[in-house]
Amino acid sequence: MPFFQEIMYGWRVRKLFKLLGNKRLFILLMGLILFIAVMGFTLGPRTNLSWPEKFVKDTVGFVQYVFYKPASYVAGFFEDISNLRALQEENEQLKIALAHYTRDKATYNWIAQENERLQNKLDFTEAQKRLYDYTWKIAQVISVNDDPVNRTIVVNLGAREGVKEGMAVTSEKGLVGVISHVSNFTSTVRLATSMDAKDPNSNGIAVTAQGKENDVFGMIETFDREQGMFLMTRIEDATPLKTGDTIVSSGIGGVFPRGMVIGTVKDIQVGEYGLTYTATVEPAANFTDWKELFIVFEPEGEGE
Amino acid sequence: MNKRKLILFLLLFLLFILEGTLVPWLIPAAWQTRIAPHLVFVVILYFSVYENRHSGLILGLVFGMLHDIVFYGALIGAYSFAMGLSGYLLGLLSRNQRAPLPLMMIVVLLGGLLLDSILFGTYTLFELIHQPYTWALKNHIIPNVLVQFGFALAIYVPLRRQLEIITRRRSPEENA
Repeated sequence: MPFFQEIMYGWRVRKLFKLLGNKRLFILLMGLILFIAVMGFTLGPRTNLSWPEKFVKDTVGFVQYVFYKPASYVAGFFEDISNLRALQEENEQLKIALAHYTRDKATYNWIAQENERLQNKLDFTEAQKRLYDYTWKIAQVISVNDDPVNRTIVVNLGAREGVKEGMAVTSEKGLVGVISHVSNFTSTVRLATSMDAKDPNSNGIAVTAQGKENDVFGMIETFDREQGMFLMTRIEDATPLKTGDTIVSSGIGGVFPRGMVIGTVKDIQVGEYGLTYTATVEPAANFTDWKELFIVFEPEGEGE
Repeated sequence: MNKRKLILFLLLFLLFILEGTLVPWLIPAAWQTRIAPHLVFVVILYFSVYENRHSGLILGLVFGMLHDIVFYGALIGAYSFAMGLSGYLLGLLSRNQRAPLPLMMIVVLLGGLLLDSILFGTYTLFELIHQPYTWALKNHIIPNVLVQFGFALAIYVPLRRQLEIITRRRSPEENA
């Protein structure tokens, strides 16, 4: 029998057993099974967090809030000093943008009123009219996890303010991510940089190009980590799409709000199987130095 | 538990808070997507080597779980498992409580490599990432390990002194 065991394990395995001991190895394996079970259980979409998770998230979140704000102020101060020279240029650009805005505002009001009148004439229901009345609530970032694979940030709005899983989060420049988990006073944002078509838990976003909403259709499902770009796939006809176009979410499917700016087109190529086109899209948000973000609330009662 | 140890634990919690709030501001913007130093883990390695491996294991599990819950993105348990296991294994590797500076630095380098590799393995297992290991190594593991090495050097003298005071106080009690 001992001879049989000798063959079975070999001296290396025995050495491992000797180093770890039978009891320890048993505990290690049990721990491994336990952790894989926990990871598997928490991987899929969960509607609610359990109360210990909420408690830890909220208390730690409160302490982090106390620290993050002063740190961001100090860092922002030094950043401002180094940016002083660029300020004049930025001011000029902002003035141009403001001029555009006042001009467009007049047109917009006109169109909005006409749209309302037509909706009334066509007997739109109340829910249909309010479909795109999004409210943007400002949220302070309270901590950042820069883990390269699983990047998340925590913001200070939670279930008490009505935040729900799956809401879009955007900065003043563009789409940042999606709310992944909510506790009472804080919520976690899963960044768009973790989007992956091969991951069953990551949802794609239906997108279109600004100004060409009826001509361009595509999906953003993947963030290419090596290039640092989104991949816009399933474009059937790439002729209207040009490099430099602004890509916005189209809201088709009703899950994701429409009109979220995602990025600008850098390059258009024939896709993987030659049937469709794929565009690389440079993100509008820069995914660094977080301060304030906006959570997009969709009008209530819709789709229920 | 004596008072000094309690204060050290509180400082460790403070470090955890700073890791999520202050540290991202100190890293240059171009590197922010790549460097996420696990400073708490470095301190846990010190506990694991200079106190004993069991406290390394417990601290790794506790602070890893804290990290998992607070920054719950895709799954819970990845950090807890990786920090607990690598804290324990590196404590097992160097059972000498009088480990000199070079040995401690080797432990920090190996520990950082092991932690990020286990994390990468976990994410690969659950299909959150599809890149090859060499990409991860170049992209974030080696920069992370270097930053952690610098941090470990900076805290070596004060932390080791405190840990020695703790272990010296306890050993006569154990002998008695």
